[in-house]
Amino acid sequence: MRFLEQVGRSTISWAEDAGALTMQFWAVLRKLPRVVPIIGRKRRWRTTIEQMYAIGASALPIAGVMSLCSGFILALQGAAELRRFGALEYVVDLVAVGFTRELGPLITAIAVSGRSASAISAEVGTMVVTEEVDALRVMGLEPVEYTLAPKYLAAVITMPCLTVLSTLSGIFAGFVFLAFSIDMPLRVYFQAVAESILLRDMLLALVKSVVFATIIVHVGCLEGLRVSGGPEGVGRSTTTAVVKSIFLVIVADLAATAVFYLLGWSAVE
Amino acid sequence: MTELNGRNTHDPVISLRGVSVAYGPRRVVEEVDLDVHRGEILVLLGGSGSGKTTLLKQVLGLAKPDTGSISINGVDITSCSKSELAAVRRRIGVAFQAGALFNSLSVEDNVALPLRELTRLAESTIKLVVWMKLTAVGLADAARLYPPELSGGMRKRAAVARAWALDPDILILDEPSAGLDPIVSAGLDELILFLKTAFRVTILVVTHELESAFRIADRIAMLQAGRLIAVDTKEKFQSNSHPRIRRFLDREPDQVSGGIQEGLMAYLRGVKYEH
Repeated sequence: MRFLEQVGRSTISWAEDAGALTMQFWAVLRKLPRVVPIIGRKRRWRTTIEQMYAIGASALPIAGVMSLCSGFILALQGAAELRRFGALEYVVDLVAVGFTRELGPLITAIAVSGRSASAISAEVGTMVVTEEVDALRVMGLEPVEYTLAPKYLAAVITMPCLTVLSTLSGIFAGFVFLAFSIDMPLRVYFQAVAESILLRDMLLALVKSVVFATIIVHVGCLEGLRVSGGPEGVGRSTTTAVVKSIFLVIVADLAATAVFYLLGWSAVE
Repeated sequence: MTELNGRNTHDPVISLRGVSVAYGPRRVVEEVDLDVHRGEILVLLGGSGSGKTTLLKQVLGLAKPDTGSISINGVDITSCSKSELAAVRRRIGVAFQAGALFNSLSVEDNVALPLRELTRLAESTIKLVVWMKLTAVGLADAARLYPPELSGGMRKRAAVARAWALDPDILILDEPSAGLDPIVSAGLDELILFLKTAFRVTILVVTHELESAFRIADRIAMLQAGRLIAVDTKEKFQSNSHPRIRRFLDREPDQVSGGIQEGLMAYLRGVKYEH
């Protein structure tokens, strides 16, 4: 009975989570036009630009370095196996396809989760604790429009850009490896890369990155808004935000990959 | 402003009828009836956990009471539409306990925020209004500072200036003197009295500070365990004989069951047995 009770309780809490996530999402979607740069409300889109810098531009170094390292790892590990078959040049395909389809978006999402999901939930959580959210409501300003919507938009705009750049740096790491091991020239390498990746793969990666961006900001904001119990609550929600957002990003990635596989979009040729 | 100077000084600006709030099985506010009259300062007094913050949330429309109604300027905010609530809120200025200033904005931008967002005033007019408000609360020199650079007293003054930015009929101040030293706190009380006499603002102050309450109040309402146990003029309140109010005024501790002494003896006995 205990067990059943626990299952029931956690199901309810999961359902509540899902419901809250959905409601917040719709509320933000309705306000999104107001924060779009140039055509939105002036004071709002300025915030969007600031957020684009905080969430996107300043995550570039860490996302780039993480991709560079993983690109190198992938090339090294792949080469160790492929060399046995005398197929070392397939490292190019491995790195290029692996990064455009999978690692580029995923590593970027993990870097942004670590930086921004925590930062967003801490910022929003502090606003809840210090009654700034209440102050906004009482002043007749919707926190959804004033604080949340700019973050959503900023993330959705900058994540695809970040993904492209970190994919490029991952692929570049593959070149560094091949240049040292078999003296492959840059031009040859990039020709081989261009032959192995498809436009479809790149587009799907961009779609994925938009989905990941939404997940990260969404979880960050929601955890922030749920903070209760003062400053310690902020700390707790920050941890939860990072864990939940990375988890959901990976689950979403799995779901997307499974769908693409079933649709037959995974075949190389 | 014309109806403010009007004939009837006893029409309630804020009126609570049978307001009850419960968190789960715990009843936090029970059957509260309270009127705040135009142009007066009403102090809502209560100890920690008496339900005054909860009651305040209901008055601001941030939460809905389980039962009862709250009307502000004649509009029932428990049943009105969103746009009506927004209209009511524009006539209310609120200074929250910790100030709730936006850390990313300077003091002057904090005060200017409601003007910029909710009115169509020209930027030059906004600058002038902000300067007037900041001068009135004594913060003209600190206009360009950011909230983290302010002292506790300055932060509360800035919060009052922002609450007052749109010239509301009603000012609601949550614990204006909590955590301030007596001199700064007295200065803030002066400011509250000045706002009342100079601008005929109706002011609702929520506090647990007796001294400040007696300095500024026209009437005092005392909340105890979610119930209003007294609503009276300051003078009558001081001579109220309700045991709980006496204890509050005389700063006597609550009776712990069995008394503190007995508890101490039991503790000492326990210590003896352990060794």
